[in-house]
Amino acid sequence: MGQESIRNFCIIAHIDHGKSTLADRLLELTGTISPREMAEQVLDSMDLERERGITIKASAVRMTYRAADGQSYELNLIDTPGHVDFSYEVSRALAACEGALLVVDASQGIEAQTMANLYLALEAGLEIIPVVNKIDLPAARPDEVAKEVADLLGVPTEEVLRVSAKEGTNVPAVLEAVVQKIPPPSGRPDAPLRALIFDSHYDSYKGVVAYVRVVDGVVEKGRRLMLMATGLETEPVEIGVFTPGMQPTGRLETGEVGYIATGLKTVRECRVGDTLTDAARPAEEPLPGYRPAKPMVFASLYPVEAEDYQDLREALEKLRLNDAALTFEPETSQALQFGFRCGFLGLFHMEIVQERLEREYGLDLIATAPSVAYQVVTTRGEVLEVSRAADLPDPSVVREIREPWMKVQIFTPAAYIGPVMELVTRRRGQYETTEYLDSQRVVLTFHMPLSEMIVDLHDRLKSATRGYASMDYTFEGYRPGDLVKMDILVNEQPVDALALIVHRDQAYEKGSALVRKMKEVIPRQLFPVPIQAAIGSRIIARETVRALRKDVLAKCYGGDVTRKRKLLEKQKAGKKRLKQFGQVVLPQEAFLAILRLEEE
Amino acid sequence: MWVKCSGVTIGTDSPPNPLRPLALYVHIPFCRSRCTYCAFNTYAGMDALIPAYVEALSVEIRAAPGAPARTLYFGGGTPSLLSQDALASILQALQERFRFSPQMEITLEANPGTVDQMYLRAVRELGVNRLSLGVQSAHADELHLLGRQHTWEDAMKAVADARAAGLENVNLDLIYGLPGQTLARWKETLEAALSLDPDHLSLYALTVEEGTPLEEQVVRGALPPPDDDRTAEMYEWAETRLAQAGYIHYELSNWARSDRYFCQHNRIYWRNEPYLGLGAGASSWWGGRRWTNVRHPREYIRRLKTGQPIGEEMEVISRQLEMGETMLMGLRLMEGVSDARFRARFGVGLGEAFGAELTRLAAQGLLEWDGKTARLTPRGRLLGNWVFREFV
Repeated sequence: MGQESIRNFCIIAHIDHGKSTLADRLLELTGTISPREMAEQVLDSMDLERERGITIKASAVRMTYRAADGQSYELNLIDTPGHVDFSYEVSRALAACEGALLVVDASQGIEAQTMANLYLALEAGLEIIPVVNKIDLPAARPDEVAKEVADLLGVPTEEVLRVSAKEGTNVPAVLEAVVQKIPPPSGRPDAPLRALIFDSHYDSYKGVVAYVRVVDGVVEKGRRLMLMATGLETEPVEIGVFTPGMQPTGRLETGEVGYIATGLKTVRECRVGDTLTDAARPAEEPLPGYRPAKPMVFASLYPVEAEDYQDLREALEKLRLNDAALTFEPETSQALQFGFRCGFLGLFHMEIVQERLEREYGLDLIATAPSVAYQVVTTRGEVLEVSRAADLPDPSVVREIREPWMKVQIFTPAAYIGPVMELVTRRRGQYETTEYLDSQRVVLTFHMPLSEMIVDLHDRLKSATRGYASMDYTFEGYRPGDLVKMDILVNEQPVDALALIVHRDQAYEKGSALVRKMKEVIPRQLFPVPIQAAIGSRIIARETVRALRKDVLAKCYGGDVTRKRKLLEKQKAGKKRLKQFGQVVLPQEAFLAILRLEEE
Repeated sequence: MWVKCSGVTIGTDSPPNPLRPLALYVHIPFCRSRCTYCAFNTYAGMDALIPAYVEALSVEIRAAPGAPARTLYFGGGTPSLLSQDALASILQALQERFRFSPQMEITLEANPGTVDQMYLRAVRELGVNRLSLGVQSAHADELHLLGRQHTWEDAMKAVADARAAGLENVNLDLIYGLPGQTLARWKETLEAALSLDPDHLSLYALTVEEGTPLEEQVVRGALPPPDDDRTAEMYEWAETRLAQAGYIHYELSNWARSDRYFCQHNRIYWRNEPYLGLGAGASSWWGGRRWTNVRHPREYIRRLKTGQPIGEEMEVISRQLEMGETMLMGLRLMEGVSDARFRARFGVGLGEAFGAELTRLAAQGLLEWDGKTARLTPRGRLLGNWVFREFV
C-alpha cells in the first residue's frame, strides 16, 4: 500500500471520556479484531492501567480500512499516555502522527488534560478531528459540548462528530473523517532512514522493542541500525507491525508505524524521542525534539524489613528495564538504614512505581515524603542539584537556592473559584488569569512551585471542588526562593530522614504542624521526649511526648505463663522492628507525618 | 495417663519427683453467663455437662501419680456452680491421690449471687478454708458494663455469709481502669470493699482482651479504651490507701491483711515452683515441662471416657527459659527475686545470669538491685512489662 494510503493518528481524551472504548470500536469496525476476541480495552496491556482506567504505556495498532471511496487505507492508531507526568512521551507519540481525534465526554465537557494534550497536538501541527462521545448518556449535553469544542478549535459546530462509542453510534463517520481529513505522511522514501522512537517495552526474548514511525527512508531486517542520540549500533532482531499482536513483516516503509525488536538490553539505551537511522548510510540530522527523561520528583524507598533490601534492588532493576525515566541509587539513613533514593517524572509516576513494587514484587515499603530537585548556587558559582535537605551545603556557602516552578491550569465549575484560589495561594501559588469556558466553567491559570504540588495537591483540589476540578501542569523553569533547611530533632538529636527544605514564610506553620503530628505517632517512652523543629540553631516549634506511666500485666498466674511470655516476646520483637534512634524508637508513621499535615 | 502428652512421655531428662510437693489447681470452666471482658477458658450454658465433667475430673485425678500437695485451688469459670456433692467427690478423689498437708490452703472461687450461707458452711466442712469472691465493683453501672450478673448487695451478703459460715480467709477481686471510670468512682468501690473488712484484696486493672465483647465495643467506638494514665493514678491511690488501712502489698495486684493471708497457692506460681493443673484447659508445670489440657470441656470428657491423652501444647522449658520465667514471675512479688534462692536453684547467681539487664533496668529507675535481691521500684511496678520484656 502506498504512502498516500497511510493515515497515522491518535486519540486525545481526558480520563474516562471514552478513548479506549472508541479505540475498541475502530478495531472492530475495521475487522482488526473480532468482537469475540475483544478483551476489553485491548490497548491497555497492564492490569494496573486497566484497574485505574488509564493508559500508561502507549501502543500502536495497524488497521486496514476500506473507505466509502472504495479504496483501502492503512490506519495506524497510536495510543498516548493519559497523564501529565508523561507529557514528553505524549509529545513524541503525537510527533508520530498527522492527525488526532479529540474526544470529549458529552456530559463532562472539556477538561484540563484534554486541553494540555490538545495544545501539544496543535503545536505538533496535527489535523484535529473533534468528537463528542457518550451522546447516549442521560446527562449528555451534546449541543453545548459540541459548541464548546467548536469554539475552542474555531470550526463550525457541524464539523464536530457526535458519537456513542459504547453503542457504536456514528463511529463509521469517525473512520471516514480520518481518511478524508488527515493528510498522508509526507516523508521522503529515498532519503536515509530516520525513524522516530515514540515508545518501547522490554521483552525477555527479543530485548527492547522500539515503537517507531518511519519518517524518511525504509527500515529492513538485515541492515544495521544506529541510535543517533547515543551513537549505539544494533542489528534488529525482528521488524513488524501490531495487528494488535506483534506480526513480523521484515520491513517498514516511509510513513509506516510498527516495531523494531532492537536486541538492546535496556530501555535506557533506546530512549523515547531518539532517531533510528541506517548505520551504513546515516541521516545527517536526527529528528527534532529529543530530550532525555529527567526526574522531577524524588523520594526514598526503604524496605520495612531490612532483609528485603536485595529484593527491592532487584525489583527496581526489573522495573527500570521498562521505564527509562526511573532512576535510583542506594541510600543510607541513620533512621531507616538501607534503601534507595529514587527519581520520578512526577507524583503519578512515583505512585505507579511504588504500587508495582508492592503489588507485583510483594514488598513492604516505607516511602519518605517526596521532594523536588532544587538548584543550589554556591558562593563559588557552582550549581548543585539537591533533592534532600540533608545534602544542602552549609548556609554560609549558599548564594541562592532555586526551585522548579510549574504553570498550573485548573478547570473548575465557577462556583468553586474561591476554594481553589484559597488552596493554591496557601501553597504559594501566584494567580494569573481566569478564562470562562462557558457560563459555568472556568480555567484558572497559576504559577506554583512544584514542591507545593507534590504532597496531595490533587486530592485537596478534588475535595475542595467535590471532585469537579481537573488540573494540568507544565514545567516553566527554576526560580530563586527564600528556602531554608528545617531540621527535626527528636530527643535533642536531628533525624536525617525527617529534615526538609521549606520556604521561610511557611517554616513556622509547617514546623508546628509537623511536630504536633509526630507527637501523635511517637509511642510514649520511659522518659519525656521533646520533638522540635529548628532552622539552624533556632527552635521554631516544640512538643513533648509525655513519659509512659503504665504498662504492666494486671494478672499473671500459673496457667498464663506461656501465653504471657509469648505476649512479651511478641512485644519485644515488635519493638525491635521499630527504628531505634538513640534512646527513642520511631515508628514508620513518624516518617510519613509530613504527608499528613493538612489532615488536622 | 497424664504422663502421655501428645505421645511424648514427660520426665526423660528431669523426671518429676513424686516426693516433691506440688500446688494443685482444679479448673471448673462453667459460668452462668460470660463477662464482657473474660478471655478465660469458660463456657456459659453448659451446666448440663457438669456431672460428666466431675466424673472425668475424677478419672484424670486417679490417673495422676501421687505426690504431696501444698495447696489446692478451685478456679474458673465459677467453681461455686458445683454442688456440694460434686465438690465433695472431687475432694475425695484428690485426697485419695495426693497427700494433703495439715492446714493446707484450699481456695474456692465464687461469684456473689451463686452462694448462700448453707452452701458455704458445707464447703467449709469439706475443707475449703479460703474463699475468693469476684466482687469487681460497688457500682451497678460498672457491673453492668462488665457483664456481671450480681449486685453490690449480693457481694455484701456473700461476705457476711462467708463469715457466718466460719470462713476466716476471704478475698475480694476488684477491677479498676474501666472505660470512662473516674478516680472518684474507683475510690468509692475500694472504700466499700474495705468496709467489708476483707482479709485479702486482688485489684486488677482491666485488660481489654482480644476477642471479647468488651474489645468489640472499644473497637467499634461504643466505649473509650481504658485510659492508662488515669489507671496509673488509681493504682497509686490504692497503694497509699491500702497501706494506710494496714494491708501488706505483696504482689503487683495483691494485698493481704497480714502475711498469714498471703495466697500460698499463687505464691507458688510467682516463685515458679511446680504445680499440677487438673480439668479442661488447666496448665501444669512440672518436671521441666509445661503443658495444657485440652480446652473444651466436651472434648475433655470424651477423651477421658475413651482413654485418650488430654495433654496438649506441651513445651519443654530450657534452663535459660526457666531462668527468664523465674524473673518475670518473681519480680511480681514485692519480696523480689533473691540471689541466694536463684543460685540454689540454677547454680548461677542473678548477676551472672542477668547482670546486663539488671544494671540497665536499675539505671532506668525501674528496678532495685543491690547484689542480693532484685525487686521493682514503685515506678517499675507500673511499667512491669518494660522489665519483664528484658527477661524473655
